[in-house]
Amino acid sequence: MAMDLSSKISRDLIERIKEISGQNANLCMQCGTCSASCTGREVMDFPPRQVMRMIQLGNTKALNLKSIWVCSTCLICTARCPRGIDIARLMEALRVINLRQGREVLVAEKIPLELLTEVPQMALTSGFRKLSA
Amino acid sequence: MRIPYFPGCTLHSKAKGLDDSTRGSLAALGIELTELPQWTCCGTVFPLAQDNYIGMVAAARILANAAKEEGGKLVTVCSFCYHVLKRVNYVIKNNLEARKKLNDYLEENYAGEIEPVHPLQICKENVGLDAIRDKATRNLKGLKVACYYGCMLVRPASEMNFDDPENPTIMEELVSAIGAEVVEYSYKTTCCGSYQILYDNDLVMQKVEEILNSATAKGAEAIITSCPLCQFNLDWSQEKILQKNAGFQKIPVLYFTQLLGLALELPQESLGLDQHYVDPRPLLVGA
Ligand code: SF4
Ligand code: SF4
Repeated sequence: MAMDLSSKISRDLIERIKEISGQNANLCMQCGTCSASCTGREVMDFPPRQVMRMIQLGNTKALNLKSIWVCSTCLICTARCPRGIDIARLMEALRVINLRQGREVLVAEKIPLELLTEVPQMALTSGFRKLSA
Repeated sequence: MRIPYFPGCTLHSKAKGLDDSTRGSLAALGIELTELPQWTCCGTVFPLAQDNYIGMVAAARILANAAKEEGGKLVTVCSFCYHVLKRVNYVIKNNLEARKKLNDYLEENYAGEIEPVHPLQICKENVGLDAIRDKATRNLKGLKVACYYGCMLVRPASEMNFDDPENPTIMEELVSAIGAEVVEYSYKTTCCGSYQILYDNDLVMQKVEEILNSATAKGAEAIITSCPLCQFNLDWSQEKILQKNAGFQKIPVLYFTQLLGLALELPQESLGLDQHYVDPRPLLVGA
């Protein structure tokens, strides 16, 4: 499906992502270095390269991807992008737009008890900061 | 030499072995860590949304408090703490708007004067590897060790300015200095899946298996790290991996300071070697 770049929703999304992330996704040349390096690639629905393309197009589907939640902000993509894009910041922008509307994926009650009592404290703090509203 | 120290939330509880072995081994090397009089959790993660100043407040307060101590440095060993303190400090130093906002909020006047340092850097730069070689009286000869850095220590290189981001060697240099054998493998700066352990367990299992297999295939007998979350993921997941894959070979995962402490002949009970899922004691102390 071709994206209508001129639609107001797409333009607004592109603007918001740019504002929150400070990154210019248009620099992406679709080389795929980020996807090849990504920690979460095997469990993502769309790898980072495709997420970058969706962001360029203002495709609102980017907001509903599993990928943005399984990104572990490990920054390998950011470190290796030949265009100098901080991809992790773009992933964060997509999460943040969701979180600020109350959409979250990490719910305390759903964490298995054997994990909840064993994980280091910092795992809970970082998990909740990144994945809950 | 005394340096202010920020343990962070996890080191007084789940990663007590990291706290004890860091203080103990640095003390044996002549560096006394003096815990900051007041501190809170640093927030653990650096906010990547440009407008999220509130996510930097905790780290900024810790840094501003450290600036009231002598020495101009702040030591912290957990990779997450080090990452967030270093990056928030970088922002305060280089982004005037952020500096003003954070200072207004905290009612402080902090401009990024503190240098956050990691014990690996102290070992290399302040103590010196030769001095460590002399003081490491316990023979670890023949012990094959794989160093695991994970993601937070080395990236982003411009701000962390820690070591080569793709092939750091500072931990390996320390391992060689204490007489153990370094195992080179490919996965030392990949991510273990981090806090995804809470949301997507499978992702972490998969990453851990990759990392550990790559180290053991090269003959590693132990893995060392500085991050309580890497340590947990790499250690705790092994039983689950073994249940799925009978051929999987378990390997103890330690803090680098525990190995250092052993080499410096600190009392074994002070190192927290009994706090791991895969018991390292049979390998290390013949228990
Ligand atoms: S590495 Fe950079 S340029 Fe290459 S596909 Fe990913 S975002 Fe685009
Ligand atoms: S920061 Fe996120 S998107 Fe980038 S490599 Fe790591 S997990 Fe993948």
